[in-house]
Amino acid sequence: MSKTDFLNVIPLFMLTSSAILIMFSISVKRNHKLIYIITAASFVADFFYLVMYHPKVKWVIEPLFIFDGFGVFNMGLILLTALAVTMISYAYFEQREERKEEYYILLILATLGAAVLVISKHFVSLFLGLEILSVSLYAMIAYLRRRERSDEAGIKYLIMAAFSSAFILFGMALVYAVTGAMEFSGIAKFLSTAPQMPLLLLTGFGMMIVGVGFKLSLVPFHMWAADVYEGAPAPVTAFIATVSKGGMMALLVRFFNLVDGYRYTSLVVIFTVIAIASMLVGNLLALRQRNVKRILAYSSIAHIGYLLVAFLAGGAMGIEAVSFYLVAYFITTVGAFGILATLSDRDRDAEQMEDYQGLLWRRPLTAAILSAMLLSLAGIPLTAGFVGKFYLVAAGVNNHQWLLVSMLALNSAIGLYYYIRIIAVMFERHEGEEEPADMLHPSVYIVSGVTMAVLVALLLWVGVYPEWMMDVIKTYVNS
Amino acid sequence: MEATFYIASAVAVLATIMVITRYNMVHALLYLIVSFLAIAVVIFVLGAPFIAALEIIIYAGAIVVLIIFVIMMLNLREETVTQEKTWLTKEVYVGPALLSVVLLAEIVYIITSGETTSVNQPVIDATAVGVSLYGPYVIGVELCGILLMSGIVGAYHLGRQKKKIVHRFLEKIEE
Repeated sequence: MSKTDFLNVIPLFMLTSSAILIMFSISVKRNHKLIYIITAASFVADFFYLVMYHPKVKWVIEPLFIFDGFGVFNMGLILLTALAVTMISYAYFEQREERKEEYYILLILATLGAAVLVISKHFVSLFLGLEILSVSLYAMIAYLRRRERSDEAGIKYLIMAAFSSAFILFGMALVYAVTGAMEFSGIAKFLSTAPQMPLLLLTGFGMMIVGVGFKLSLVPFHMWAADVYEGAPAPVTAFIATVSKGGMMALLVRFFNLVDGYRYTSLVVIFTVIAIASMLVGNLLALRQRNVKRILAYSSIAHIGYLLVAFLAGGAMGIEAVSFYLVAYFITTVGAFGILATLSDRDRDAEQMEDYQGLLWRRPLTAAILSAMLLSLAGIPLTAGFVGKFYLVAAGVNNHQWLLVSMLALNSAIGLYYYIRIIAVMFERHEGEEEPADMLHPSVYIVSGVTMAVLVALLLWVGVYPEWMMDVIKTYVNS
Repeated sequence: MEATFYIASAVAVLATIMVITRYNMVHALLYLIVSFLAIAVVIFVLGAPFIAALEIIIYAGAIVVLIIFVIMMLNLREETVTQEKTWLTKEVYVGPALLSVVLLAEIVYIITSGETTSVNQPVIDATAVGVSLYGPYVIGVELCGILLMSGIVGAYHLGRQKKKIVHRFLEKIEE
């Protein structure tokens, strides 16, 4: 391994070593605060390394990794999101009696898995990254064992993820059998010489789409989403909705662009159907829910459906739109789940609509932040979500995908209903006595509060001045 | 020689169908072992003796033993002992045994004929696997280590919590 190779993999190396450091630190003494600081510091240091010192040239470590602008950008995004999730985790886990320290190891390892996904250019690294992410998530979802639904959610995710991994593996085996290559570039080379796609290869790609669709919770592989979102602890739910899906989405974009899947109508039709189904099913199922976590689960299904519009548009514009939407979606989702986590008490998460009744009068600031997040999810102007959606529509129109674009517009209108409904509930006058004050030392909440404030600031900043974010994305993605 | 590949594959498919149609776990397990052995023969015939050996050691060996442990832990009542005696009757083991005999015959044939691969491919031995794993794919091996670490940390956390729940059968025995 050359020096440049090593300089490139340092971000992965730092994550691994911090996980091991935490493990040793636990064996000496269990200290939640110390471990939390190590985790946050390692994410911050990793991000700084990536931005300041990482060699900016495109670099390939044969045969597994490619460090290009797109990969580095997504890795940075994943690290920052993981940092935000860590920030909201501390107050959340501090008020629970169970052992909290292992959670941070799993969080770091899951982040590592997602980081491996976004820079992989080979089936081996793809699968290993995916499995590291999934295996860490199994335990993270079922982490709070005393909760009623945590076991159910954990087992459900375990079985579905294992099943989808089997599909991905079978698909890879078929692709390898036809093309004789496990590297994305090798498959692309085979396809560029083949006159048309062999049926066996199409079957292989189809099976891989099943696995990818599961990870992204696209319809019809979305069954797990609502139950897992509901059963998992709120910070873990934020992690699943953002890092896990974002990593897979980045991989999908890279793979599809490299093999130039846009040439094949069969693949484009499959993704178009999946995109429309995800948008419609996600939004329609969310309409009747009374549980906020389930609403956000269905809304995330719909949002990944929106993302597929830009993904299908392809080209530089499509990739930029996907990246921008991911940024906006990550900020918004982490923010919404962060509020959910801060409102949760010792026994359960604040997930029922009733928990939010009159929130505006009890905790005006919290309610304002949550409203901003929900409006961004709905795509109201002046928020990041609006610019993101605008970018998606622009990419779709640019490529003359009128069906997809009109479905996107229609679904945004449906989506508005249930986001506004939550906000309306918060405005209702709360009857009944005042809730007891927070149980923990107030300083614990400062960290969560600052994180939330930063997220809202970002949300508005990206919403009002999107040029800066667009420039960053353009410089990275096109390098 | 090519026939060995097809016979072993047929045995594997047949045994696997039997696995998923059995209602009794132990019966399914017997067929599962046969299925692993058959797949090992397939891999061997394709020219990868090292992976074939791993298939037997890891799958037919370690993983099946783990499954047996789980079954043993789930059946802690006294009547299960008498029930287990009825399991190993003739009609239970004759199926897996027959399939295994087919595989044994193939192995004997392969050894006596001296041909090691059915297709015209170079035989990939342990050295080639090792050179590949610790050469270009060394980061992959390290990532496997990370994968195991996340699995162990997760299992440790989830398993530790379980201690507090006293098993209902264990409770009965202690009385």
